[in-house]
Amino acid sequence: MPEPDGDTQAAVGDERTFRRYLRHEPVVLALLSALAVIFFVAVTALSHLYQAQQEFLGNRWFMRGTTDLKQLHFDAAVTEFRSALLYSRDSYAYQLNLAEALIGLKRTGEAYAYFINLWDREPENGLVNLELARIAAQKSETEQALRYYHNAIYATWPGDQQVQRRETRLELIGYLLNISARAHAQAELIALAANLEDDPSQQARVGDLFVQTQDYEHALAEYRLSLKAQPHDPAALAGAGLAAFQLGRYNLAERYLQAAVSANPNDALSAARLKTAARIMQMDPFQRQISVAQRDRIVREAFAAAGQRLESCSAAGAAKGPATTPVAQPALSEDWAKMKPQITEPGLRRDPDLVNTAMELVFSIERQTSNACGAASETDAALLLIAKLHESN
Amino acid sequence: MKATNVDIPPDPSNATLLEERQSIPARPFLGRAPENFMRLVFREDRFFLVLSVFIGIFAGLSVVCFRFAIAWCRIYLLGTGATLAPLRMVLAPSLAGLLIAVLVIHVFPLARGSGVNQTKAALYIYNGYIPLRTAVGKFITAALAIGSGHSLGPEDPSLQIGASLASALGRRMRLSRDRMRLIAPVGAAAGLAAAFNAPISAVLFVIEEVIGRWTAGILGSVVLAAVSSVVVMRWFLGSESMFRIPAVQLERPSELIAYSVLGVIGGLASVAFSSGIATLRSRCRALPAWTQYFQPAVAGLLIGIIAVLGAPQVMGAGYLYIDEAMHGQFTWQMLAVLAGLKIIATLLSFTSGTPGGMFAPTLFIGAMLGASVGGAEHVLFPHLSGSPGTYALVGMGVLFAGFLRAPMTSVFMVLEVSGNYSIILPVLIANTFAYLISRSLQPTAIFDVLTRQDGLELPSMEEQREEGTLRVEDAMRPASGALLDAVLNARDSLDQVFQRWDAALPDVRLVRLDPTGWSSVTRQALEIMVKEGKGDLTLGSALSGRQLPFLHPDNPLETALRYVDRWPLLPVVSRADFRKLEGVISQQDVLKRYQLYGEGGDMRE
Repeated sequence: MPEPDGDTQAAVGDERTFRRYLRHEPVVLALLSALAVIFFVAVTALSHLYQAQQEFLGNRWFMRGTTDLKQLHFDAAVTEFRSALLYSRDSYAYQLNLAEALIGLKRTGEAYAYFINLWDREPENGLVNLELARIAAQKSETEQALRYYHNAIYATWPGDQQVQRRETRLELIGYLLNISARAHAQAELIALAANLEDDPSQQARVGDLFVQTQDYEHALAEYRLSLKAQPHDPAALAGAGLAAFQLGRYNLAERYLQAAVSANPNDALSAARLKTAARIMQMDPFQRQISVAQRDRIVREAFAAAGQRLESCSAAGAAKGPATTPVAQPALSEDWAKMKPQITEPGLRRDPDLVNTAMELVFSIERQTSNACGAASETDAALLLIAKLHESN
Repeated sequence: MKATNVDIPPDPSNATLLEERQSIPARPFLGRAPENFMRLVFREDRFFLVLSVFIGIFAGLSVVCFRFAIAWCRIYLLGTGATLAPLRMVLAPSLAGLLIAVLVIHVFPLARGSGVNQTKAALYIYNGYIPLRTAVGKFITAALAIGSGHSLGPEDPSLQIGASLASALGRRMRLSRDRMRLIAPVGAAAGLAAAFNAPISAVLFVIEEVIGRWTAGILGSVVLAAVSSVVVMRWFLGSESMFRIPAVQLERPSELIAYSVLGVIGGLASVAFSSGIATLRSRCRALPAWTQYFQPAVAGLLIGIIAVLGAPQVMGAGYLYIDEAMHGQFTWQMLAVLAGLKIIATLLSFTSGTPGGMFAPTLFIGAMLGASVGGAEHVLFPHLSGSPGTYALVGMGVLFAGFLRAPMTSVFMVLEVSGNYSIILPVLIANTFAYLISRSLQPTAIFDVLTRQDGLELPSMEEQREEGTLRVEDAMRPASGALLDAVLNARDSLDQVFQRWDAALPDVRLVRLDPTGWSSVTRQALEIMVKEGKGDLTLGSALSGRQLPFLHPDNPLETALRYVDRWPLLPVVSRADFRKLEGVISQQDVLKRYQLYGEGGDMRE
């Protein structure tokens, strides 16, 4: 029998190996698959057990944290929320509450880290944007603060979205007023007023804010809307009185202020303003519906008051030293003295233009003395306001 | 190397291919389709790939269980809250340390240490053998250690659990010795990938630090195992990365200087950490044997005291605190203190022989150090745009490169964890500085130090990487006098051989054939031709059927070694022009060069 050569031997060996594999490996693969399935099922069961425990522990710590947060026990709340996060690191609610608790502890830096992470995950979350805006406002990062405030205004909120958005805008307006960005605040207020529901208290609140931005026209409009529903609301009446007063509509101011003082007799500010308004009404010679005789009398009184004011101011200035006396004051004294003989009942009746000339001098004196000598008597204050009113007219 | 049609011995790497060709009988393919298909599937190398998937699944499932075990140990030993009770902080690691010592000494002696070197030893010494008991022991003791607050991580134990499972599976499958050797690293990659949730880093680490070489077969198995284990792990534990990754930004290239500083500081910290481990470990091992029962307990007690004194962050793996450091929740001073205390805590835990890994502590120290350096730099230069998180991420890579000395893995690890390519420049710069400083101040990598302390001599991947290769150009000699023209006849050629006699050359000359190819002829062959009356025959026609293999100057010298015993003189030709002779090489030249190298000669003459 011939000896098989090397190649034949190798082929036979290879064939044997192949046969062995063919018998052995499919069985092995089947066994391995079965083992993998069994192991998988076992680990799934274990995993359910593990996940349930993790969820339970996370929730337990979270509930404790929420209770402490409500009771303003921020320190304990932080620890508890941190513990809750051990069991669900990515839980949005856990992180949000932890960040809120950190804010409570004034640990702004840490809170910011959480909030910015939450913002990355949900950029449209209103509360996160609001908190980021507050942090930026604290850090005087105005641009960032405005961006987050605006995000918050247009973000989604849990519960009543309209209320949350309105409150956020109101907070933004407060921030803008704090940083003296009055024009920006006014723009926000106009936007807010346009979307305001028929809520008299909110309308009065917006009116107050318009007053702070010195937009008295809008303020008066808001107070009026508020007073439609609650005509006897003392705050709205006082606000409307103030707005009308600032607009120089002293008649209207007088009416609102009178109602405000009647509704709330303790409102000293409105009472004082009412007195001033009444005085203005008495001292304004340019009012319509007054007789010539009344007008001449008012002019004579105003001229006399201006003279007294000039005198008292000059005396006070001389007592303090020459440096404090305004340069124009001697000239005004001269003009006043020169005009005084003409400011009589017949003089005024003879020359109706003298009313204007006399009142111009009165206004000049009041302005100058107000600058040089500061606060004046009630009559002088009224004259000054009349001057401003006619200046703008 | 370019081989021609002469009888060249088969390249060992092509052995499989040759065997395959031989084993397929010459029969019509379609007629034997089922059998051919079965052959295709059930060849060992392909079956090994299938097995790798199973290894990945089993390793992934084991790592998931390991994570559960650590979490349960933590809950029952340290409590459920983030703030721990002082008594538990001291008692849990101490008592767990006592139990671990007893288990390691009496039941699981191979569970000691991190697991990386044990896997390497399985590959290089024990033919892939790791007892399954080691996996069980590692699982129990490491879970106890990490869960009770020892400053160790779960990654290296996961690596060893994966390797051990794979080894057990390989033994059951009766794989060949070559496959058995490789199966432990395949399991190691699967375990590490699942523990780290980072398959690329795991594959790279195992290739870079354990196997040390790349072939398609190894890479395929390692990748399949790593991917399947990560899929399993994510199935159960979700796909979130280990940390919440902060936004990464690098506004100005000049900021790379700041990251270089981090690289330098990280390099120095790595040296301090590794020298601390090397020194303290050898001292602990030199203590009387009975002290081994108490070493983990004492380490646990000291770690507990550190925690009670105000740094509970050093306990356990510390991923939660890495996450917090990344998000700016510590001051830079606190971060620096935590980095220092973690080094001390890890030194205590690891050198006491407590089973557990060094990956997580390394990442912790790196993150704290990075965020601390970043914070301090921000104080000095407020315009720097890098967030604490960016510095922490880069810091992790820095320690990985400096301490574990895995430069490639360190870069990919940060990229994989951050999922952000824009961090690449800071990581590259900082890691390079850290690696170079660490290498220059501590020439031996920590894993090599540990194996040598254990009395083993495993191949050092770093030393292998640094080792130069001798090339053909280092041994070849000039070709002058060694070349005969193919158009010369045998008589003239013989004359020329005598005229240009060179005693240094072997008794053979090269002949350049037309149009391509090389051949050689000995002086005796020429004399015989002349004697036989074939003196007028040109060398070209006489030698046309006897072509020589040839070499290129950049071929490794060991390639030449395969041929020089069969052909006394080989041509070394240019890669651009195979007819251009750059030099010649003989067996004597090769041996002489190796002899010179062995005597301590330079790589290049």
